[in-house]
Amino acid sequence: MTKKKDFVLDLLNVASWIIFIGLSIEAGAIIFNYFYCLFNPVGAGNIYKGLDLSQLYQDHFGHFNAVMSFVIVIAIMKAYLFYLVVKIFMKLNLVQPFSTEIAKLIEKISMEAFAIVIVSFVAVQYTKRLVNGGMDVDRIGEFWGDIASFLMMAAIVYIISRIFNKGIELQNETDLTI
Amino acid sequence: MPIVVNVDVMMAKRKMSLNELSEKVDITISNLSVLKTGKAKAIRFSTLEAICRVLNCQPGDILEYVD
Repeated sequence: MTKKKDFVLDLLNVASWIIFIGLSIEAGAIIFNYFYCLFNPVGAGNIYKGLDLSQLYQDHFGHFNAVMSFVIVIAIMKAYLFYLVVKIFMKLNLVQPFSTEIAKLIEKISMEAFAIVIVSFVAVQYTKRLVNGGMDVDRIGEFWGDIASFLMMAAIVYIISRIFNKGIELQNETDLTI
Repeated sequence: MPIVVNVDVMMAKRKMSLNELSEKVDITISNLSVLKTGKAKAIRFSTLEAICRVLNCQPGDILEYVD
């Protein structure tokens, strides 16, 4: 049973690293392409994975910058979220799992997920206004991700962090019970 | 903490060192130090029983309530 549990943890650790590296590359590529198309407008035709904001770039450069800011910030936040997940796996000690450090990381993950929800929501409302104003934002919605999923993740992880804090309290009491 | 642990007083009366008490009660010295310095949050009955047996005293000789 222990070997099976360790294998699952190892698998999750590897998966987290892969996702973190993937998201970091994505954020880096988006940032690079954004700065590239500031100097070369042709780049706006394919920002990342075929996203075409050339019309927005030509007609409303300010809105283009705003939309790209949302895309970049959300991409960085997602990469940071998985960096925190990777950090948990690095710090996790199954012999004594209830440590303050892990509790803080879990809380940070829930806050970060919630922050992604807030920023994504603002981005969705902003691009809705642009679309209603007749501007072309192509498939920009794909970059916000599923807000409901992140909200559920934030809520569940927050509950887990509260339970974890209670676990730390109980462990401290047990440690100081002679 | 209102509950004061006077195990060092009983140890002095019985002329017993911390090492000796630790061996006889089968508790680590660090745990006994936690008890002595008043940092313990709780004590098991089994531990209290063992300390009382080794020090030949009553629980009231070791535990004191101070308001």
